[in-house]
Amino acid sequence: MTAFDARKLVGELEVTLDVDVLVGAYPDRDGPPGTPESVLGTLAEQRIRTGAIASLRAALFDMRSGNDEVLTLASAHPLDGRREPLVSPETVPPSPSDASAAGPMAAITPAVVPVGTVDLRDPVGAVREIDRLVPLGVKAIRLFPDEQGVEAGFPSVRHVARKAAALGLVVLTGGDVRRFWQPFSGLDAKVVFLDTHFYHLGDFLVIAADEPGFHTSTRLLNSPDALETVPPDRLLYGSRTPHYEPVVPLLRLATSGLNPHEIAAVAGGNAKRLLG
Amino acid sequence: MIIDVHAHWGPWFFTMDVAEANLATMDRYGIDISIVSATEAVIYDAAAGNRALASWLAVQDEERSAGTGASSRSGDGSEEHPSARRHFGYVTINPRRLAEAERDLSEYLPTGRFVGVKIHTDYTRSPADSRRVRDALGLVAAAGVPALVHTWGASVLDLAQTCLDIPGLRVIAGHMGADGFTHAIEAANACDRLYLEPCYSHAPTGRIAQVVAGTDTARLLFGTDSTLIDPASVVGALAAANLDAETAEAIAWRNAAQLFDLGITA
Repeated sequence: MTAFDARKLVGELEVTLDVDVLVGAYPDRDGPPGTPESVLGTLAEQRIRTGAIASLRAALFDMRSGNDEVLTLASAHPLDGRREPLVSPETVPPSPSDASAAGPMAAITPAVVPVGTVDLRDPVGAVREIDRLVPLGVKAIRLFPDEQGVEAGFPSVRHVARKAAALGLVVLTGGDVRRFWQPFSGLDAKVVFLDTHFYHLGDFLVIAADEPGFHTSTRLLNSPDALETVPPDRLLYGSRTPHYEPVVPLLRLATSGLNPHEIAAVAGGNAKRLLG
Repeated sequence: MIIDVHAHWGPWFFTMDVAEANLATMDRYGIDISIVSATEAVIYDAAAGNRALASWLAVQDEERSAGTGASSRSGDGSEEHPSARRHFGYVTINPRRLAEAERDLSEYLPTGRFVGVKIHTDYTRSPADSRRVRDALGLVAAAGVPALVHTWGASVLDLAQTCLDIPGLRVIAGHMGADGFTHAIEAANACDRLYLEPCYSHAPTGRIAQVVAGTDTARLLFGTDSTLIDPASVVGALAAANLDAETAEAIAWRNAAQLFDLGITA
């Protein structure tokens, strides 16, 4: 054990549903490969029981084949039911600093909630892909405006926002919340802003007050009082595994001033309510 | 033992209310000592902020002597161990106001409550390789204390060149370049008087592990940016790096104790 023993501070906290998980790699970064096996292994290591997973292949190259990759993964790891032992204890090496940290957690096989990805550079194809995904049971779509070079004022964003709201889909979106709230306003939309930074917390709070369907990920709300300032029913644990360290938002949530009921809601209860 | 070399005292302009959060936050993560700069000094008025911080640190000393303050590890009248003090100060320098800086250095460093200098290159719009930052860091070198300098992206390389150009200067690259951490590795390898401090509100996978693997671990320090950023951010990132015990101890406090000559050996 070292001075940086996060597991001691995290204690027994388990995340039941992480809304921000990806498979695939960024070609412009030296990040992890994001294979399904490694992603599920990372979730298991952090005791994250379910991941709402989207595909970088779908975001960056081809919607259909990327989304099919996620649907296949979800069918092998359903939310309720028997799951294939894709993650074995051997695939999750114990931490050198605390061999006990990964032991029992590695036995958990995380479930997968499929998240459909649409490409905002092709709004016509995006809506067509949504129409394909909904009958397959997809209840949430994910937007990657930064990765796709799309601004909040582009017509494609409003077009996709209207479609998602009309179908009752949850939208998980990246982008600066100070700008990306606008295309979703007035639609009774259910949105989770995945990139809300604590610098912009005030902007989120004032728009969320007018929009009951607006929620935020915890990932970048890491000032000393941000989690304690957002209404707890609007907060969802999000890690961006495997491209961000999931233990950071986990540690922040575990040491927050929220009560156990609120922590359980943030750690997955709110996400389950939204994603069904 | 943990020494936080990048912390703050005072309020922030964002939607947050953390001015009084420092000690509670330190205790939650086992941070024994924080070296703080006044937010007022960093963001707006260096002289006024330094003055306010000096007064607050003096009050902490008085309370510790009386055994009444929260900022205390002892208070029984016995000779004080250096780690009894929970806070040391940075004298903040605005490179645009060097006369004020000279005055503040000569006033506050001799008190023993201030152990270094803070320079924020963005709030003062003074790049690390600019003439005025070089002049400011020349004052720091003459004073014989380390300077914590804000770095972001490739600016850490400019700081390394400035450090090479000023004999005897010791600088800490605050945030170790943030998203430019690969530049920080290069900077630390270019100048053996440049130290890296990792706090960052983002936690991209493998950032700490890459820096540890690529640099001399004797020049890695622990910093949080508290009270702006909760220590969970950097503690989590360090935990994810799975450091061996010796490296973790060096980063947690040994390197800082030596750099700031805090007289702490265990």
